Amino acid sequence: MVPVLDVRRLEPPEPLERILDALADLPAGEPLCVLHRREPFPLYDLLKRMGYDWRTQGQDDRFEILIWPREAPPSRRESDEGQPD
Amino acid sequence: MKTAGLSLDQAPPIGVPFAFFLVAPLFAALAGGLLLWQGEAVLVSRWTPVALAVTHLLALGFLTQIMCGALLQMLPVLAGSPVPRVVAIGRATQMLLILGTLSLSAGFRWGGVIWLTTGAGALGLGLTILIVAVGMALWRAQGVRQTVIAMRLALAALTVTALLGLMLVAVLAGGSSLSGFAGWVDLHLGWGLLGWAGILIMGVGYQVVPMFHVTPSYPSWLMRWAAPLAAIGLLAATVLTATGRTDLAIRGMGLSAIIFVVFAAATLDRQHRRERPRLDVTLLYWRSAMLAAMLAALVWLTGGRAELTGVLLLVGVGVGLPSGMLFKIMPFLSWFHLQHRQVAMRRFSVRLPHMQSFIPETQARIQFGVYLVALGLLAAAAAWPGIGLTRPGGLALILASLLQSWLLLQCWSGFRRFRLNLD
Repeated sequence: MVPVLDVRRLEPPEPLERILDALADLPAGEPLCVLHRREPFPLYDLLKRMGYDWRTQGQDDRFEILIWPREAPPSRRESDEGQPD
Repeated sequence: MKTAGLSLDQAPPIGVPFAFFLVAPLFAALAGGLLLWQGEAVLVSRWTPVALAVTHLLALGFLTQIMCGALLQMLPVLAGSPVPRVVAIGRATQMLLILGTLSLSAGFRWGGVIWLTTGAGALGLGLTILIVAVGMALWRAQGVRQTVIAMRLALAALTVTALLGLMLVAVLAGGSSLSGFAGWVDLHLGWGLLGWAGILIMGVGYQVVPMFHVTPSYPSWLMRWAAPLAAIGLLAATVLTATGRTDLAIRGMGLSAIIFVVFAAATLDRQHRRERPRLDVTLLYWRSAMLAAMLAALVWLTGGRAELTGVLLLVGVGVGLPSGMLFKIMPFLSWFHLQHRQVAMRRFSVRLPHMQSFIPETQARIQFGVYLVALGLLAAAAAWPGIGLTRPGGLALILASLLQSWLLLQCWSGFRRFRLNLD
């Protein structure tokens, strides 16, 4: 089960702060799913430099971003399970 | 505001805006000092020398100083257009602004043509440097249309305010007469408070209110029309004053004042409908400032004391709103610069402090409380002169300003400490 972090109601820059905290606290190799109210472009730039990959789905004010360490991509089954409803 | 547009390559070094932000509260403390020293004499009439000195210490030393720092910082972010040679421009503008404000205020308080003309000269030069540099950046600006338009109009309003100020000093220093002198002073005040401050607050508010407090956007009709209509009102007032019809000029300014009241009401409504019910000190300051603006308009429209309108606008909005914004902007910039430093140095193992930790919320709220006491005492002293509240009001303003200085310095030293960890 992929942990889900909902930052939709937080004021900037709290979403970014919480996501970086959550990534730092995750057990090595684990993915993280983030719920955001917009596409977090500044986060993507950081993730790239920090060695993470990501996949974003969603539109309007609800986006789901699945983040994983580049060397440990999630299996298809795991990422599907991780998608919140 | 799309934070995707926040680029450290374009943003000025953090020291540029922080220099303006850290010095400004000292001018509010100085104004408080004059109020404490001179007491009831200050608020008896808006025309007393010491009232003029206090007004300019607050309007130039506090409000304009913060607005200059914020403009230099925000232009690249909101308008996508950096100011050329920003470090040199920032230093020169600030030095001349400080020198000019002190000299002009001394000239008002103690008389002396040399102080008045030195002050006006320094301010004229400093503001010209700022207006040319910011004007060049705004000329090329690509960002959010309504905000760029409001920034351009605010800069034009600053130019008119400065020109009117220079003209008034020339009249005072030269001993010549100007027909309808009081009307020209009102015009200078209108362009300064409703134009330069009011229109810039609107333009920046369109971006920062929805962003920092997660509120719905302002209505598009308001964003399209408010700033241009406020400028048209001031322009009409200018033409009427210049043609000797000062009695009608007041209606032009009335239009601008009403526009600002509509903006204030829309702001309170947006903030009421914010997604997250948390009430932080910036929001408290926004609320008190918007209520003070509405109350000032009410006092003015009902023919109340001009000194009360002045206190509500200068202390209620002019000191209050920038104070609230500083408690948000300084921690945000500190966090933002550290974040980029971390990426540049690839020091991802270092945990950065959260933005809220740079200025503790409890201490900021205590500062807000002291500020509210100052505003209340000074408003009462202006409404009922002679009841002995000016001195306590001045003392409260000194305390609020020193407390603010201390909190902002804490933020600055926190930034420096963590930056060392990243090197």
